[in-house]
Amino acid sequence: MRRSIRVSGTIFVAAMLCFLPAAVFAQANGGPRMDHENTLPPEPVGPTPMAPDGHPDLTGLWNGLADNLLGVPNQMHNVGIEVGPDSTRDIHSGVQIATWPLQKRKPQNNEQNERAATLLRRMGSNRPIYKPQYWQRVKDFDANSNEEDPSNNCMPAGVPRMGVPSYIAQTPTYLVFLYPGQGGLIATATSYRMIPTDGRKHTNLEDLDGTWNGESIGHWEGDTMVIDSIGFNSTSWFDQLGGYFHSENMHVIERLHRDGNTLTWTVTVEDPDVLLEPWTTTPRVALLNPNPKAILDESLPCSERDFAHVVTKEHH
Amino acid sequence: MPMQAGTLKEIAGKALVIAALAALFFQGARGQSNSSKASAGAKTTPATAATADDANKSSTSEVADTLKVAAEAVGLARWSGVGGQRLPEVDVINTMEIWGSGTTYVYNQSNKPGEPGAAVKTEYHAALGYNPPAMRVEMTRSSSGAPAQAGAVTQRTIEVVRDKYAWDESEIGAGLVPGKGTATPSMASVSNRLLQLWTLPYGAIKAALAAGDKTKVTTENGAKVITFPLSGQLAGVTVKATLDAQNEIAKVETRTDNPALTNLITETEYSDYKDHGEIATDVKSPGHIVRKQGGHQVLDIQVKILDANNPYLVFPVPENVKNAAAH
Repeated sequence: MRRSIRVSGTIFVAAMLCFLPAAVFAQANGGPRMDHENTLPPEPVGPTPMAPDGHPDLTGLWNGLADNLLGVPNQMHNVGIEVGPDSTRDIHSGVQIATWPLQKRKPQNNEQNERAATLLRRMGSNRPIYKPQYWQRVKDFDANSNEEDPSNNCMPAGVPRMGVPSYIAQTPTYLVFLYPGQGGLIATATSYRMIPTDGRKHTNLEDLDGTWNGESIGHWEGDTMVIDSIGFNSTSWFDQLGGYFHSENMHVIERLHRDGNTLTWTVTVEDPDVLLEPWTTTPRVALLNPNPKAILDESLPCSERDFAHVVTKEHH
Repeated sequence: MPMQAGTLKEIAGKALVIAALAALFFQGARGQSNSSKASAGAKTTPATAATADDANKSSTSEVADTLKVAAEAVGLARWSGVGGQRLPEVDVINTMEIWGSGTTYVYNQSNKPGEPGAAVKTEYHAALGYNPPAMRVEMTRSSSGAPAQAGAVTQRTIEVVRDKYAWDESEIGAGLVPGKGTATPSMASVSNRLLQLWTLPYGAIKAALAAGDKTKVTTENGAKVITFPLSGQLAGVTVKATLDAQNEIAKVETRTDNPALTNLITETEYSDYKDHGEIATDVKSPGHIVRKQGGHQVLDIQVKILDANNPYLVFPVPENVKNAAAH
């Protein structure tokens, strides 16, 4: 009993730390706190600014409203669960999921909240289809993610797990993406990407040393920026949850589409070594910080402090 | 949009919306099959066992309340306040995996009516999901004692169903990768296998919610009884689920008036509920499952582990099974 209480406390503190950067960021930039009552994506507002070359300008600070994309509501949306005030839908399958009114929620303590969050994050039907010989490995990785998660100990999340960039700078010949670090149980280091859009071709895969982010090259398809990445190591997982490992032959195609003050990010993962078929994520929608003076604050040093206290397999 | 304190009118309105959406859910669940739609036009057969007299008819609110407490009793209806959000309670159960051991009973033509079949020691392993509806049941039967014992004859079967497809696998995931096992279509088994999925406690609650205003609640011998019709491939089958004192589903009975579906007449008893997961989920599952089919006991299993943490379980349909279903 004493052990479970301690773990619950540990996880709770870790969860709070996960939200710390966003909370600090919100205060620094005067943004409102977002208390989610649904996981519906934001509706686009305003015109889409265009760059001098005629393409949409993706420059901006995204998700800058204290809306941490790693929070439970966004993670639910990321796995394709769209919760409205009275209804819930699995975006991938279209299935309606039973929903009970907010006012009638059964009281839960923090431990129950955490366990429910673990289920909520995994309930979506949009799952990559691995070859059968790897099904058990994925399950084992997920079940033992407290120990197995390759992003533990401040290691990079890698592409595409790192998600929607928090800041994009766009020039005529390259994009710069910034990803602030996270604290807590899923502590990750600050990361960045510099993505050429000058028409160059990929280096031969055989000549690339596998890396966390791979070699990324962008080009426009109409108003959509398409970023093609190869040359990965086989260390990272390609989604936030689930133990979704990959081989060095992973090929990632990211699509970013700006509509007014929203940025929709969709990823297709191809890996014929381990997947039966390509897998496409549920589109994730980021919101532009409307404050033109907003900046990304310095991330706290990434420091892993929680693992020594974890005594069960309960996890996020 | 800030949520105001709910008035009775608002709550009643939301209950109606939820009932309608629940009906859509089951229809939607029936309609999936690897990106193609199946049985989208299937009609729901009215409940045959739900024709209680008017005085015994349950109110909409009583049905909603009963289903809610049943869903909460097994940990199906959940919410999380992590991060401070205020999301409603939703059905969190999609995939789960069960390991158990016990006895299955084998019947043949020499069995006399009412006589028990041959008891066979059985290791039971089921992987299942509700979105899409699918189940893979792996059973290893040993004719005498433990499989390792000398002289024991073991038989391993892997029976799979997903949507309108059913097949048998020579190994887990057979037929998906060249050279890796054989998948044998078994279309005649679709209804029987789907019934196992929807008569589990979680399936029964989901199906009762999906049946909308066709779901009734009565009281029998002091116990709450939920009655509702199934639909899609299981149209014509009515389910009667009995709750225990903790509002957990203690018994699920299926009935039909259709003489062609008599193999779908079943009775399954569930007891010894607790969280059987190695990773705690607060999802309560039965520790003991006893199933009868056509009046004969067919399964008596003690559950050892039940992983309800929506584990990675997938049920892709092999091409040869799709082709067989198309012809």
